[in-house]
Amino acid sequence: MENLLHLFEGFSILFTFQNIIVTMFGAVLGLLVGAMPGIGSLAGVALLLPLTFKFNPTTAIIMLGALYYANMYGGAFSSILIGIPGDGPAVMTMMDGYPMATQRNRPGQALLTSNLSSFIGGFIGMVILTFMGPLLADIGLKFGPAEMTALLLVAMTSIGWLVGENPTKGVLLTMFGILLASMGMDTLSGYPRYDFGNIYLLGGIPFVPFVIGMVGFSQVMRLMSERHKETKISVDKLSIKDSMITLHDFKRLFFPAIRSGFLGTFVGVLPGAGATTAAFMGYAVQKSFKSEEPMGSGAIEGIAACEAANNGAAAGAFAPLLALGIPGSGTGAVLLGGLMMWGLNPGPLLFTNSPEFAWGLIASLFLANVITLMIAWGVIPFLVKILSVPTRLMIPVITVICIVGSYSTSNSMYGVLIMFISGVLGYILNRTGYSTAPAVLSFVLAPLLESNMRKAFIISQGSLGIFFEKPISLVFMLILLVILLFPAGRLVLTKLGVLKGKKN
Amino acid sequence: MKKVFLLAIVLFVAAIVPVFAQGEAETGSEGFVPSKDIEWFVTSSPGGGSDIYTRMIADIMTRKDLVNGQTFLVTNKTDGGGEVGRLQVSRVKGGNIADHTLLTFNSGDHAPMVKNTANRIENFTPIAVMAVDKQLLYIGEYSKYASFAEFLDAIAAGQNFVIAGSKGDDIATYELLVEELGITQNQISFITNDATSDAITSVLGGHVDLVMSKPAAADQYVVAGKLTPILALSETRFTGNLASAPTLSEVGPYDNVENPIWRGVVAPKSMSAEAADFWSNAFKAVSESEEWQNEYINKYKLLSEFKGREEASAFMQKFQEKTLAALGK
Amino acid sequence: MEKRRHPISVMQIIPIVGILISITFIYLGFAKYGFWDEFKGPRPGFFPVVISSFMLIASSLALVFSFKEEPIDWPLENWLLPLSVLAVLIATFIIGLLPSLAIFVLLWLRVFEKCTWKTTLTVFAIIAVIVVGAFVLWLGVPFPKGFIINMINN
Repeated sequence: MENLLHLFEGFSILFTFQNIIVTMFGAVLGLLVGAMPGIGSLAGVALLLPLTFKFNPTTAIIMLGALYYANMYGGAFSSILIGIPGDGPAVMTMMDGYPMATQRNRPGQALLTSNLSSFIGGFIGMVILTFMGPLLADIGLKFGPAEMTALLLVAMTSIGWLVGENPTKGVLLTMFGILLASMGMDTLSGYPRYDFGNIYLLGGIPFVPFVIGMVGFSQVMRLMSERHKETKISVDKLSIKDSMITLHDFKRLFFPAIRSGFLGTFVGVLPGAGATTAAFMGYAVQKSFKSEEPMGSGAIEGIAACEAANNGAAAGAFAPLLALGIPGSGTGAVLLGGLMMWGLNPGPLLFTNSPEFAWGLIASLFLANVITLMIAWGVIPFLVKILSVPTRLMIPVITVICIVGSYSTSNSMYGVLIMFISGVLGYILNRTGYSTAPAVLSFVLAPLLESNMRKAFIISQGSLGIFFEKPISLVFMLILLVILLFPAGRLVLTKLGVLKGKKN
Repeated sequence: MKKVFLLAIVLFVAAIVPVFAQGEAETGSEGFVPSKDIEWFVTSSPGGGSDIYTRMIADIMTRKDLVNGQTFLVTNKTDGGGEVGRLQVSRVKGGNIADHTLLTFNSGDHAPMVKNTANRIENFTPIAVMAVDKQLLYIGEYSKYASFAEFLDAIAAGQNFVIAGSKGDDIATYELLVEELGITQNQISFITNDATSDAITSVLGGHVDLVMSKPAAADQYVVAGKLTPILALSETRFTGNLASAPTLSEVGPYDNVENPIWRGVVAPKSMSAEAADFWSNAFKAVSESEEWQNEYINKYKLLSEFKGREEASAFMQKFQEKTLAALGK
Repeated sequence: MEKRRHPISVMQIIPIVGILISITFIYLGFAKYGFWDEFKGPRPGFFPVVISSFMLIASSLALVFSFKEEPIDWPLENWLLPLSVLAVLIATFIIGLLPSLAIFVLLWLRVFEKCTWKTTLTVFAIIAVIVVGAFVLWLGVPFPKGFIINMINN
């Protein structure tokens, strides 16, 4: 196939000594940046952009691509090891990653699962990108406001899975997360909402400090009760050999990773949806499948699902970026800016005008995937060592990282304040039986849903019809109806004697 | 104890060093010359348009040795949608720090500032306007109509259309256009997106009818044939591949509509007059340089238009009055 | 410690707060931001009002259920941590963030956890390497310097 030939050309451009070194360098930097809470891929890419100026455009963009991509690997590290998600996509990894590391005493395996799943998900994304890049981008274009609304409504039902045993509390928190997200500048009307006259609230509640606080800092507060327990991790699990997963483990992670890889790639292509959304959706979809251990308790499937999804999304995001010049997210916009600075114009003409650059970049993603996997695998023993540090020493360390990370997101103490408040709130909620995950998930998804819904209504002049007239939207609305009515329908059919009653 | 001792040393050194630094700058005082790091604030995130603009100018000034070897510290302050950063700069007290503080300030910052806060241009010292940008209306491949005149006919026949644009300046231009055409906002409605690229995406997918964009963001799509400019929101036609788009007066019995977006720089109100003059001249030098023309203006397809201190001040003042009037304040 | 001293405990306060928030958002949603526009569809207040309504229902239900729940105990010790963070926040405005964090780490380890100097300084050094190496030197994050240092500079 033609594209495969182009890809091989890309590899030939890639395999110069300089380019390979640069890929490795970008991968290492990306891992480091991704591992640090508070510095997500957006800030990481933006801050490291100047480093790439020294090189020629092709080399520079290869480095940047490796950096962006390796970020997705790194975010899992702090999630798994210390329970503090490094950035948005890593939040879901923490849900099963941290329990697997601490409660199940398999930190090395958790990290390895995360790395392998990232590799698989990313690889799938890149293959799809290679063969279907421009086509995928065109499909993404077909998702306008109405289609996105319908899709996101379906996605929101998946929150139901995360709500846990107590639906009332779960719904309360989900709604709370949405309300928090609605505070700040309302883009569609140009006016601020729920800012209560406060100049900081004019910009809304920043996501990363909110997550670090609600998920991370509240976790540290809980650790206070455990300070006096003995170190849980025995020191002899430190070699690579001891961190290996069994064949059984691998089988467990394989299919979730493949499924999520496809899902994540597709989500990454969609306008507005990025790696975080992909990770959430990957995890939620996985919940509806069987897994050996329950999700949320350290199940391999849980880690596999979200890590594969977020790497798939990172790869998928390159489709609209390269083929159409459309950045799918803030990070994409920075990449785009970087590309333009070197005189390269991503867009419909990129593949015609500068094919060697485009395919060199795609080839470098494959290489970055392999290199990052190797490096990430290799450092597992060192990372696991972190877990052998006594809890009471970790508490101040993690606290400092939470504070510094929250500050760095916007260079302001406001971030730290938000982190603090969310942390205390998260702690209180957790102790009283509320789970904070739905709040974080809805915080991310709801604004997308709202803005797309309102745009759809503007287009349709206030009529609901648009959601059922456009074919893609119609499909998702039907899926939504099925999901919503399925439990009720089954109940009715059982009562009618049509279906054999199942004992719950 | 060791800690207190260390802290004392740090404080002592921190106190001494600035004294020396200032001492050097006293010599040769025909007016202001930068004598310490210059803090330049940008109220949007790294990698965006304003950020690139700021770093480009800082880079050119450093390369052309316009700032006495001092370093620029570009700081992104995005809190409160940028309002916190602007407020902070406006409140910098007079003195050495004020003379070394700059703030990137565009029409896209000025309008929300007066709309949503009590902050006004009077709290700043305008330094310069560096570039100006205007918009056009484009159609995508799926458009039913090929020219703006046809759209107007369809509207008269009862159809409604949607323009997608980005937040900030586009919506003001849209309102001027609708007013000039004498139609309602329901006949042509406007969807605000976070960024122009989102707006372009929606027109490429055929979800909206028109997109409003500045030349730079749409350029590659025009070249690829995916977007066609059909109306120039400007007094005169554009050049190059945008020359085919008529201005509003050419389409019908209307005045031209334009809402120039400007990119400028301001400083705290308390900046000294000598420092302000220095900076104004420094920006002038950048504006006249080849690097500026080649590496920024041409690349991003802006219009280089320099206004020095007094002109910029009058210009921003007028902009503020217009904006306030439109808001009914 | 007696556990059933007060009928209103944190278990009730959370749903009550939820109810209050919902009502506030609903009220502002209608009064200030508008609910539905004839042509443009949902206005800024629409979505928050719908969501707040759900939250109101959920909070009320939660309040009812909460009376059946066991009260939770709150180890006093755990609150020392957020208090310290608060102290760091305040101290930042006076002496800057990095010095405040340094003092926090040293005091926490030495005084609260009663570690040896060796342990304290080792952990301190590691934190310093991470924070200064990654955030200050490499990423160049401008940390607040505090009131005192700013006064000295100016």
